[in-house]
Amino acid sequence: MTQSLTQAQLVAWLGAFRDAVHEHRAHLTELDAAIGDADHGTNLTRGMDAVMALVDSDDVPDTAASLLKAVGMKLVSTVGGASGPLYGTFFLRAAAAAGDAETLDAEAVLGMLRAGVEGLASRGKASVGDKTMVDALAPAVQALADAVGRGDGLPAGLRAAAVAAAEGREATTPLEARKGRASYLGERSTGHTDPGAASATMLVEALADAVA
Amino acid sequence: MIGIVVVSHSRALADAVVELATQMTADDGPTVAVAAGADGGLGTDATAVAEALVEAASPDGVLVLMDLGSAVMSAELAIELADLGGTEVRLSPAPLVEGLVAAVVRAAGGADLATVAREAEAALTPKQSALGEPAAAAGPPGEDGPGPPEVSVTLTLVNPSGLHARPAARLATVLGRLDAEVVVAANGREADGASSLELLTLGTGQGTGITVSATGPDAQRAVDAARVLVEEGFGELDAGTG
Repeated sequence: MTQSLTQAQLVAWLGAFRDAVHEHRAHLTELDAAIGDADHGTNLTRGMDAVMALVDSDDVPDTAASLLKAVGMKLVSTVGGASGPLYGTFFLRAAAAAGDAETLDAEAVLGMLRAGVEGLASRGKASVGDKTMVDALAPAVQALADAVGRGDGLPAGLRAAAVAAAEGREATTPLEARKGRASYLGERSTGHTDPGAASATMLVEALADAVA
Repeated sequence: MIGIVVVSHSRALADAVVELATQMTADDGPTVAVAAGADGGLGTDATAVAEALVEAASPDGVLVLMDLGSAVMSAELAIELADLGGTEVRLSPAPLVEGLVAAVVRAAGGADLATVAREAEAALTPKQSALGEPAAAAGPPGEDGPGPPEVSVTLTLVNPSGLHARPAARLATVLGRLDAEVVVAANGREADGASSLELLTLGTGQGTGITVSATGPDAQRAVDAARVLVEEGFGELDAGTG
């Protein structure tokens, strides 16, 4: 398989993520109201609107690395809540991993996502099982790595990643939160899906949709 | 002098805490840069924190005090984003209000970054002590063997409330700028004279006797300065003492 992620697909990914957070804004906020401060949907839509204003403008960066870096900086300065530095770090690290690669083949996309997720996890000092974004993102990266190892193409690999992310999101429901605002609730955080894992799943699904 | 950065979700909160803290020092305190709010609302913005780090940067280092949640992550990210050359930056786990007050006073006294960071971290001690909870043992680190010659004076506090916040801050600022180790003793306890927090834990009031003991090149100046401040009632006496 020689399929690569194009610049147009990167832009389509960001657009699809923006659309998803808009469509599910009330749901994300509702999840966050249960165990957090009810701002996740609002914060992410504001951040992704700012990102798309940049992407739709004339001076949109024309390489993967510069585009992803600009996205990261935009999120960092507009989201406000914890998801700002978290998703911001994801895109900044992904940008660094993309480097000046001319084509992003499956291997390179895996490297990019892995660097992004590792950066995000390290920023939030979160591991799988803490009821965070990492519960969706870490299994997604693993699924993509398995697919790439099998020689599946990028579309199939990213579809598998999206499925794994959704499973990871669902697995957060019975967990007790150990990071972030929800951790103040202790046992009362069980029985609610983590809003970060929900939005992170949308991020992976948007990428799978963009290359499908 | 070190620089200080305040990171808060709220511009109003940050401005108020800076006003409160800088009230404790004269006009020659440390630079306190603020990064608060995001996109016009509540939140934190790592790029704004990076700008504040650059604004407060000093060869002596920068101490960062934060409120909660994303403030910590934004500050960590900001250190990666900011071009600070070799400036040392420390993120303080101290509570924002108590920590900033302690840090500004100690920094104004010329203390180094490690000392100011320690002071900020110990900033809950006076409140814990006031509420009767066990606090970390106060007092300067012990020294073995015969020390340098000591100058000391015993004074009686004449201002209405003793070494409460503002007098303690004034005394600590003055003593911190001198090349002397100063111990203030009262009520059977000892405090580092350059630490406004430790001075607060002495539990003094009007009429309390304190002993100021100093060693080092500026020992005599330290004792004289303490005497003047105490006798003037820290500027808090009604009668026109100027």
